[in-house]
Amino acid sequence: MEKITPNIIFNISNDISDEIIKDEALRIMKACFQCGTCTGSCPSGRRTAIRTRQIMRKAVLSLDEVLSDEDIWLCSTCYTCYERCPRNIPVTDVIIKLRNLATQRGFIKPAHQKVTQVLADTGHGVPLGITKNSEENQWSKARESYGLSKIPPTTHSHPEAVLEIQKLMQLTNFDKLVKLEFKSINEGKK
Amino acid sequence: MTESNPKTISKSKSPKEEDVRIGLYICNCGINIGGVLEMDDMIEFGKTLPNVTLCKKYKFYCSDNGQAEIAKDIKDGLINRVVVAACSPRMHEPTFRRVLKSNGLNPFYFAQANIREHATWVNMYDHEGAQRIAKDHIRMQVAKVRKLKALETIKVKVKPSTLIIGAGIAGMNSALDLADQGFKVYLIEREPTIGGHMAQLDKTFPTMDCSSCILTPKMVDVSRNPNIHIMAYSEVEKVDGYIGNFEVKIKHKAHYIDQLKCTACGACVDSCPVICANDFDLNMGPRKAIYIPFPQAVPGQYTIDIDHCIKCGNCASPSICEPGAIIYDEEDHYSTLKVGTIIVSTGFDQIDPTNLKNYGYGKYENVINGLEMERNLSSTGPNLGKPVCPSNGKPPHSVAWLQCVGSRDNREGYHPYCSRVCCMYAIKQARQYKEKHPEAECYIFYMDIRAFGKGYEEFYESSSHDFGIKYMRGRLAEIYENPDKTLLLRGEDTFLSQPIAINVDLVVLSTGVEARTDATNVATMLGIQQTSDGFFMEAHPKLRPLDSLTAGIFMAGVAQGPKDIPDTVSQAKGAASGAAILMAKGEVEVDPYYAVVYPNLCSGCRSCINLCPYSAITFDESHKVAYINPIMCHGCGTCVASCPSNAIEQNHFSGDQLMTIITDVLGGLY
Repeated sequence: MEKITPNIIFNISNDISDEIIKDEALRIMKACFQCGTCTGSCPSGRRTAIRTRQIMRKAVLSLDEVLSDEDIWLCSTCYTCYERCPRNIPVTDVIIKLRNLATQRGFIKPAHQKVTQVLADTGHGVPLGITKNSEENQWSKARESYGLSKIPPTTHSHPEAVLEIQKLMQLTNFDKLVKLEFKSINEGKK
Repeated sequence: MTESNPKTISKSKSPKEEDVRIGLYICNCGINIGGVLEMDDMIEFGKTLPNVTLCKKYKFYCSDNGQAEIAKDIKDGLINRVVVAACSPRMHEPTFRRVLKSNGLNPFYFAQANIREHATWVNMYDHEGAQRIAKDHIRMQVAKVRKLKALETIKVKVKPSTLIIGAGIAGMNSALDLADQGFKVYLIEREPTIGGHMAQLDKTFPTMDCSSCILTPKMVDVSRNPNIHIMAYSEVEKVDGYIGNFEVKIKHKAHYIDQLKCTACGACVDSCPVICANDFDLNMGPRKAIYIPFPQAVPGQYTIDIDHCIKCGNCASPSICEPGAIIYDEEDHYSTLKVGTIIVSTGFDQIDPTNLKNYGYGKYENVINGLEMERNLSSTGPNLGKPVCPSNGKPPHSVAWLQCVGSRDNREGYHPYCSRVCCMYAIKQARQYKEKHPEAECYIFYMDIRAFGKGYEEFYESSSHDFGIKYMRGRLAEIYENPDKTLLLRGEDTFLSQPIAINVDLVVLSTGVEARTDATNVATMLGIQQTSDGFFMEAHPKLRPLDSLTAGIFMAGVAQGPKDIPDTVSQAKGAASGAAILMAKGEVEVDPYYAVVYPNLCSGCRSCINLCPYSAITFDESHKVAYINPIMCHGCGTCVASCPSNAIEQNHFSGDQLMTIITDVLGGLY
């Protein structure tokens, strides 16, 4: 709140809100009447600093701080606010849109950047902890007990497919957006 | 009344086209039209249309000066037909027809092109498109006016009697006003007593008048007025006819007690062994299967709740009911009325909050709704004016009111509108509770307090200043029940920007009002319209707020939209005045848009007779042709389209006129 200075109030812009309502389903965001149902319903907000209603307010007023603050990353996307909003605003979708915008403008948090790097390296956001001897992996035994292959038929069994994922990331410019380094591709070229 | 004689009617020819001199007047309507259209281009276009002798523009043709300009052109003999391109004809068609009539032209030589609603408003940002569409509308109306025929309005007698549907505070006020002017009033109420929702209220804001104390004298006035015929426990089954001459079928539900013999002694109640839920107390208290809803009920006779009655015969024994009024096998009966006007004052239902699972209504004992709290507070209610928690029968130490429950909620099943009474009734109830228990804690969770009426803001201020009611800005998120049946409330104090949790003993959901569940049936039966929120639609939201779009039918009270008691009473008096004007005049003019049978073309096949939804067509046996009663005909056109011999023509919408419109708008391509 201390960041809202008279200066910001006078420099009214619609930059962020215009960007959000390019998605027609989110246009209703402008009708937010600040009732507080979202904040009151938020399980994350009882433990962290996230104030959903304030995020919506800042988004409507296009205050830049909504993208740089940590708040938008504290939402667990449980969709309770989305269900209860009396104005039918898809609150969670607005927050996800804000995260996309924040990322595009270079406000990604280091932890999230690391997750995307893991995705680029392994093809999984949360890869399996594979030791050299796959016989030792507990999950591997569990899979076998259900009649499944030891290693799932993903990039874990097909490491060469990681290159295709990286290619997709390059084609969509995702690599530049989150500043990825493609070790295996670069090594392959060498 | 115009009675057409089948022998003399023949298909008259349209007047010769070369004699038609049309004056085309294009209205700027301020900037509504002038700000979007290129007016000079419109004038040039207008002059090119066939038979248009002169084409002009002006700021507001509905103004005195505008009308005078048209009048002068008619008087100077320059024109004999008029087209005004302006707003919707709904408002100003009568205005311009009067100009024609008072200057010696038949008022039906007029057509209005709606280039505001249909062109400039909908194409506010597409000026070229608006221009193109406006030209088409004008082209069509100029084509139509070339073919129009002179018509005479029909006069209809208005019977000096009114049917009022619903005897709440609205219906009762309308009834008294009309009866005092000498008109006969039939006041229909589906409950066994008149009084409506107001009878269930304890006190009224902001004056804290006892609701019964101001209502029951009115009820007595109604019952004593010789011009008012109360029909309690009755419902309207069917409405036929038209303004001035409605024919109404009424179902009188069986009381199972002869209402003329019952002396209201009440001995039967003591003898009745059945105890069931009291619906007047919203099922919070008990009553017997033989009952009157509340002590001051009007009419004061008893009724048997036949769904709960076990027919034990106790009450029927001569030692209990001396007049022998009990009739267990009584059946519903029907009667028919003829009235000149109708007032609809059917009231409202309270929104059911059961599906708002996060508030737990219906699941947690100590979560109640607004009307239940009203009965809880009432000295005639189940707790005799000592409000308690339903779980333990003890007065709560802390009470929270939740505003906007079911209203201001765009989700499916709830209502986007503001119910207009909940803020004030919550403040009133909180204040009443603080008066009884000054040590209690009262919270009102709100988004905006709408204290809009006379004395309301002062009442709101006093509630916190003098009574210490705490206002919490934020819509409550959820309620949980603690093991001891107290309630944990979670929400945000939006002023603090803090999620909060409060424990209270009792929660009152300030539920809003909604249209009656059977409002659609009433609307269909009467031929009136509803707005998207389900309430009955007024003819004009500003200028005809009490008229329906069906002539002779008026509306009052919450049936038209949420409102408080002062507004309801004002509307009731207004609706009574609307009905009285028609009945005092004794006759009304009706547009002659009825269909006419040309007897020389009619083959007498009778196919139209059964198709007519208004039973307006009869068969003339002597001439073997169909005959349409011009008063009963609504001009729907069904018979015109169905006639295999093309023998029926509808005034003002003839085949010839419609085909000319189509041909011209297609640029003569047809």
